[in-house]
Amino acid sequence: MKTTLSKYSLILAATAILGLDSCKRDKDPEPGPIVPVYGSVNGKINYVFGADMVPWQLNKLYVHPKTGDSLTFTNFRFFISNFKLKKADGTWWTQPESYYLIDAKTAAESSFSIPNVPEGEYTAVEYTMGIDSLHNVSGAQTGALTLSSGMFWDWNSGYIMLKAEGDSPNSSTGKFALHLGGFSGTNNIVTVRTAEFGKTVKVTNGTTPTMTFTVNPARLWHTSPGLATISVIHMPGAEAVTMAKDFYNNVTLSSVQ
Amino acid sequence: MRRQSYILLLAGLAGISACKPDADFRTPAANYTPERPAHFPPAHYTHDKNKYSQAGFELGRKLFFDPILSANNTISCGSCHKQEHAFADVNIRLSKGIDGKTGIRHTPAIFNMAWNTSFMWDGGVNQIEVMPLTPLTNKVEMAETISNIVYKLNRHKEYPTLFKNVFHRDSIDDQQMFWALAQYMSNLVSASSKYDDVYTGKTTYTKDQQDGYNLFKQNCSACHTEPLLTDYSFKNNGLDYQFTDSGRYRITRREEDWGAFKVPTLRNIAVTSPYMHDGRFTTLEQVLHHYADSVKQTPSLSPLLVKNGKPGLHLTADEQRKIILFLRTLTDTKFLTKAGLTE
Ligand code: HEC
Ligand code: HEC
Repeated sequence: MKTTLSKYSLILAATAILGLDSCKRDKDPEPGPIVPVYGSVNGKINYVFGADMVPWQLNKLYVHPKTGDSLTFTNFRFFISNFKLKKADGTWWTQPESYYLIDAKTAAESSFSIPNVPEGEYTAVEYTMGIDSLHNVSGAQTGALTLSSGMFWDWNSGYIMLKAEGDSPNSSTGKFALHLGGFSGTNNIVTVRTAEFGKTVKVTNGTTPTMTFTVNPARLWHTSPGLATISVIHMPGAEAVTMAKDFYNNVTLSSVQ
Repeated sequence: MRRQSYILLLAGLAGISACKPDADFRTPAANYTPERPAHFPPAHYTHDKNKYSQAGFELGRKLFFDPILSANNTISCGSCHKQEHAFADVNIRLSKGIDGKTGIRHTPAIFNMAWNTSFMWDGGVNQIEVMPLTPLTNKVEMAETISNIVYKLNRHKEYPTLFKNVFHRDSIDDQQMFWALAQYMSNLVSASSKYDDVYTGKTTYTKDQQDGYNLFKQNCSACHTEPLLTDYSFKNNGLDYQFTDSGRYRITRREEDWGAFKVPTLRNIAVTSPYMHDGRFTTLEQVLHHYADSVKQTPSLSPLLVKNGKPGLHLTADEQRKIILFLRTLTDTKFLTKAGLTE
């Protein structure tokens, strides 16, 4: 019963696609459409802290190996975007409208799904840490880019691409709030990364591989001074660039399974 | 299960029916484009994604004047931006928001916003759609959260239908709210002052107005550029030796932007007193006196306001008087009293 109906739905969905496609008919008289088959790819964020890569989470005290600061994060959110997957034949598949807001608060908000990936074999991934400049100047948007997330500066338009907040006795206020963003000129923190799978990964309607990315919040202070010097960043600028780049450039694809 | 298939079937039909040209029953019949005067340059905001419609404009207008957008349902956009003052605030130097709290700047006029390349006195906001984010969430303006506004709108007895008529989505999200406000503001167009009639050859100035216009072109229009009466640049026009509001510097952190503010349009200037970002001047006479003799020399002062090696434009009393006579031709009474702009 279930299968019959879903087959039925598929046919109807195809009708829908055909219906829409017929609008373009007179413009591009191409042969009947080949209905492609899609799968999906999952993504997952794995949090570690410091060179020892100990498991990291919110609301737990960590001592930074370089600055010596005691850090208890209460909020850690960042954008990852513009996924592309490299096919075995060397061409790239680009995910349209590819924006994800990761929140360390929960495992669910630390994982995501890339839908409608054409079936095939893939060998590498490209992704962007932050939000491309175009989408910082494109007005009101939906999904991960909603203006209601608190991840958009109202007085100085642009996305807060990474928010790290928490408590620390080493800051003069007892708190830290690092809001990192900036998409133009020397303030640009947006960082495109690629990672080879080191193997061929199959995507089919039934096989959904998971890419695990390891991020290390300690890297924010890799070359930046401790909280006694900078405990608040609330706009684009050199401080944000250094912190963001140190963090972004250390993000690694730790496994694809 | 069966219901699911029906939905898909409907989707298929909708797909097909969307192809029928012109017969789209969902779009309202009235004009499809906001007002765009022939003697203006092309607008900066083009409605690429946020398609303009009369119903969208009306929805934006309803939102603009609805205090539901504020935390305690007391303040609307229209509380500060009033049509009879070209959507500026009157007789208040600094804006007054929720619970009578005072803001840091004077409420500017809102019209011809579709031509703006940036928003706010310091240009910190880059797009008309995201502009309302500041007043809506600012603690001294409307102090509301975007998610709560969306929640209130979805539970309202009229809004769900109104939004659906414009955007055809299942429920209201924040993008639709920002889009509706943008459609409204995009169609607040002021282009029918005496100045415009002269500009388009329909009438002529009096002798004094004409002298004033000539003086204006020599002294002012490098920044207050025609026909929008601003070039949207940021300039320090010499108000202070020391800046309590750093202006554009707050956004760019560049030394040359200290105390620089967005050049405001001078259209409708006679009805938008008080003047400047902090509303320090109440009359145009005071403004002209400033430009004539009180311009303060600081490193970031615009060189356009230095004449013969000395700061200021050194205008005589008669020249100042004539420039003011010209400025008064910029009042667009039709716009200030036009029906259908205020709810
Ligand atoms: C409490 C008074 C107040 C309220 C309420 C208010 N505004 Fe404003 N508005 C201001 C002030 C003050 C500024 C200038 C702010 C600045 O430059 O820092 C401004 C600036 C603007 C601008 C930019 C104009 C320009 O030339 O750059 C627009 C557009 C605008 N407001 C629209 C709105 C909308 C839409 C709403 C309702 C969602 C609203 N305002 C509510 C006071 C208010
Ligand atoms: C160097 C560029 C420049 C020149 C030249 C200039 N202005 Fe301005 N004008 C500005 C800027 C910038 C502001 C806003 C300053 C602020 O608010 O702090 C302004 C503000 C004004 C205002 C107040 C507008 C408002 O809405 O509050 C008036 C009126 C005005 N100028 C008239 C003139 C006249 C008349 C002249 C010629 C005699 C002139 N300006 C020349 C840059 C200029």
